[in-house]
Amino acid sequence: MLVAGVGMTSFVGFRNDASVRDMVADAARAALLDAGLRTPSPVDMGVAAYESDHFNRQMSLGQVLSDTVGLTGKPVMRVEGGGATGALAIRTALMAIRSGEARSVLVFGGETNGRSVDRATAIEILSLSADFEWETPVFGAFAAPYALMITEHMRRYGTTEGQFAEIAVKNRRMALDNPLAHRGMSITVEDVRSSAPLSDPYRLFDASLLSDGAAAALLATEDWAEEHSPTFAERPPVAVLGSGSATDRPRLSDRTDEMFPHFAAKRRAAAHAYREAGIDNPPDQIDVAEVYDSFSGAELQAYEDLGLCPVGQGGQAALEGRFDREGQVVVNPSGGLMGRGSAVGATGIAQAVEVVSQLRGEVAPARQVPGARIGMTDTHAGVGSLSVVNVFGRVG
Amino acid sequence: MRITGTERDADPDGRPVYLLGVEIAQRYRHAVGSSSPFYEGLEQGVLRATRCTGCGASWFPPRRFCEEHLTETDWYDLPGTGTVTAATRVHSPPPFGGIDPPYILASIRLDGVRGGITHRVIGTETPQHGAAVTVKFIDEAPAHPLLAFAFAIEGATP
Repeated sequence: MLVAGVGMTSFVGFRNDASVRDMVADAARAALLDAGLRTPSPVDMGVAAYESDHFNRQMSLGQVLSDTVGLTGKPVMRVEGGGATGALAIRTALMAIRSGEARSVLVFGGETNGRSVDRATAIEILSLSADFEWETPVFGAFAAPYALMITEHMRRYGTTEGQFAEIAVKNRRMALDNPLAHRGMSITVEDVRSSAPLSDPYRLFDASLLSDGAAAALLATEDWAEEHSPTFAERPPVAVLGSGSATDRPRLSDRTDEMFPHFAAKRRAAAHAYREAGIDNPPDQIDVAEVYDSFSGAELQAYEDLGLCPVGQGGQAALEGRFDREGQVVVNPSGGLMGRGSAVGATGIAQAVEVVSQLRGEVAPARQVPGARIGMTDTHAGVGSLSVVNVFGRVG
Repeated sequence: MRITGTERDADPDGRPVYLLGVEIAQRYRHAVGSSSPFYEGLEQGVLRATRCTGCGASWFPPRRFCEEHLTETDWYDLPGTGTVTAATRVHSPPPFGGIDPPYILASIRLDGVRGGITHRVIGTETPQHGAAVTVKFIDEAPAHPLLAFAFAIEGATP
């Protein structure tokens, strides 16, 4: 299963010059051109990725986007999985191709999470991601449940605010080298710790960005790529090596004491994806990873739950820079959700765009991971109610 | 729905672009459905949970059927005590209002049931892991029915 083409728009705080369909059109066109196609007609089906009818102001957007990207007449399905939406769309394309239903699938996702809605409206809509009946009455911002998780992680393992602030610094610094990033910044741990409090211990700079943006990827069988993609033979092919997905209790307080500070679904999704990809020693075998840094501490927890470091050592790993530019695994070279930004339906696809470009050796030298051969993406919904892990590899 | 205005702006290259101000208000009648006995309990000053009539497994928040045995559950009253797993000071109000920030939010393991609740703790002190708490019915006209109650740290000065 190959990734024949990838494309994305820049992620920004607000596009005053483009609707969500314009951005998806740009991303999809870029992915098709990247594959060397002169027309979308050889593509068998589309998968549309977007989370929110509220943010996008358009129901049945899947068909609208399918029409926008030139796939009218072909089957399309809309995929939604909260923060994991984009990655789940890639996984859905993979399943369609594995089943034999399609030989090529264009995955396209976008969201207008930026300033097209005012802050109060954005918080109101986002609060619907929590359990409307049992959680939304008591908290609005997702900083709260993430804060509860990391508080228990700190108590149990001695994790500190300074350790996860290092991740907030790292990802914003990485984004400085990504021209498509929403907001790269050069800040310090002190800047993070003195930013506005959200939900203790989290502060503003521990949180990620809300962006406008779109991304697309064209997945295909090798024989389809040989037949239709003129660029296929010109560069190192990148394949999807594995994919995994799992769920957890959506409400944090329903989870067991043992797993309270951990992402159980992430562990299961990663185990499945790694098994398919033949990975038994993740930190040694994976060169580059795009990890879901909705909050700085969530990336720290993900290091452990993705098997990149032992459980309880995420804080120490962050402090040592084990997942920084020169680290054992380079995590979030794009800048992650904190620096590149997050337009939910596009996010998991944009992660794949970064990983595929890294594996091809096509990103700007400043952020290229030298000789990268295996990369992965990690996203989750809510505070880990659904996780999707996709593993990519250079196969030539 | 209504258009509140049409705005002419410029894109990054200086070309004119147009934006529409849009207002959409949505109103619902939300059925709490199978949780209705819990809401009835709130009127009587008690928290309720469900349990399997076969194996006795229990759940809070309530479940319609036992996820092990597919048997329908029935309702019972909880003692209203519990233990804090983790707590945080939240600096923004909840969506329905009713609590002035900053306020204390905790994940609480409830006694007498397998399960817990994320809810408000009364006062300004952030309780530690393991702190004992008790439900208090504090508001007769809450902004949301679930805010009729909150939890008090045992031994804390009221």
